[in-house]
Amino acid sequence: MRAFFGPLEDDGSIPAHQQTRVSAFLMSAHGALARQLATALPGSVRSGWQVELHSQFCREIEILSLIARATAWVPDPTLPFLFWQWESAWLPHSVEGVTDGEQSFLIDLAAFGHALHSVIRPAALLPEDFPQTDPFALAMRRVEFESVRLMQAQILFLKGPELVPVRDAVAAAVERRHAQVREVWNGMLAGIEIEPSGRHLLVPVVKSAVADGAPTGAAAKAR
Amino acid sequence: MPWLACNSRRIHYELAGPADGPACVLINGLTQYVRLWHPLRDALVARGLQVASFDMLGQGQSDKPSLFIHQDDQVAVLGELIATLGERPIFVAGISFGAVIALRYAIAHGHTIAGVVPMSGFAEIPAQLYMLGTALRTALILGGTTFLQDLLFPMNFSGEWLESKRDLIDIARHRGWLVNDVYALQNLMESFLDFEPLTPQLSSIRTPTMILTGEFDFLTPRPLQETLRVHIPDSALVIVQRAYHAFTLEKPELTAHLLTRFAEDVMGGRWRGKGTIWLAPEEVGGDFVPFPAGFDHMRAIPVRKDAREPAPRPETAAL
Repeated sequence: MRAFFGPLEDDGSIPAHQQTRVSAFLMSAHGALARQLATALPGSVRSGWQVELHSQFCREIEILSLIARATAWVPDPTLPFLFWQWESAWLPHSVEGVTDGEQSFLIDLAAFGHALHSVIRPAALLPEDFPQTDPFALAMRRVEFESVRLMQAQILFLKGPELVPVRDAVAAAVERRHAQVREVWNGMLAGIEIEPSGRHLLVPVVKSAVADGAPTGAAAKAR
Repeated sequence: MPWLACNSRRIHYELAGPADGPACVLINGLTQYVRLWHPLRDALVARGLQVASFDMLGQGQSDKPSLFIHQDDQVAVLGELIATLGERPIFVAGISFGAVIALRYAIAHGHTIAGVVPMSGFAEIPAQLYMLGTALRTALILGGTTFLQDLLFPMNFSGEWLESKRDLIDIARHRGWLVNDVYALQNLMESFLDFEPLTPQLSSIRTPTMILTGEFDFLTPRPLQETLRVHIPDSALVIVQRAYHAFTLEKPELTAHLLTRFAEDVMGGRWRGKGTIWLAPEEVGGDFVPFPAGFDHMRAIPVRKDAREPAPRPETAAL
């Protein structure tokens, strides 16, 4: 198992089978979110929050378009089964403790978006020596960067004053979506020999970077 | 890799050093994680202390609650960790955010520890700190962890240190970006949105307290440390010379010396806080020096406390 994409191809690119699997996953998840946003979006925007909803929908379409074009796709016979598994996970769920059906749908939608935009960190899988002009790598960085901004609308809504009466239910719904998305994401990565928690174990340079005095050990080697 | 369970959350922690002597628990600041303590930890272990450090909820490898992180939960985690250390002198030292958690713990459970060391800490969030915190949060939201770190590096360290580590800063920044998750950092920062000042409760801290502050710390400047000194009965304020906010990272050997001296003084019955003010030695092994009598420790220039009259105007003033 590795912490990052790789080993890189001779031309420095990320292996096509890893690109394909990760991009398929991202298209499934972001596609599901885009569909659910489209369902929630009325034909005419009448409320302020619907402006943000429209913006979210457009950003998701942008992400899908970018991934589709920046990936070096190769045949992956396991994808039909995986797609079915992933799509099942993204289906809307009612939120326990919330009786208003529309509110329940919106909470789950925001919880799914929050989990997707916070748990999934495709750029954190890029090895440090990846080519800085590689389109797939740059696409992954763009997806992760945009996710941070997109997540803010979900945070505002989920932590907002109108949901204070059902805050425990909201927190539980978000935790559940986080656990679900993390499980599916980690499972997908395991299929391409990647263990994402490995990112926590890269320490020697950090340790020496903060050490006092003259560089020693790993710091000296790094130099 | 040791893990602690607390209220259904999983906490990552590390233990190092002898298990039969005094122990020191280290508490992270924002964006930090256990492994960043290693230089200080190793220096403390070399001086005979056992060191326990942990990733707070929302940091490092510990669980990251998705929406809300309450500071009471951090205190509960600290309590669980202290309980695992058994009956022996235990000192708690936290930096910045970690100092707040250390103070909260000392207020609620001070009888379980031998001493507490808030470093670059605070008990209130006055306008300046609030606006800095808000700006840092906005930086996180708009630019992600990397932008936040770009701001924190020059806020936390001296120019000399940054210059000497210039070739490693990018790597350290990348590691920080990898380990930290934006939503979790944001939750940690937002746990201060409804922060109630701890000042009214500080007088209940009866445990010996050494307040460490960097001479040049402009993130949590001297007035914030002064609040701690004035209200915690058995406290002393120690100014770490030529130091900025994150002196534990920039000067780990010196910090270890200060912490060890504090522990030795407390255990030897020599500690007398009494609201005194000290200058930390500049070199490891040096002595603490009382802040010069008659001068105002709240000023950046040597102003005598009893000489507040305006300075005489130069006869040939050019301005």
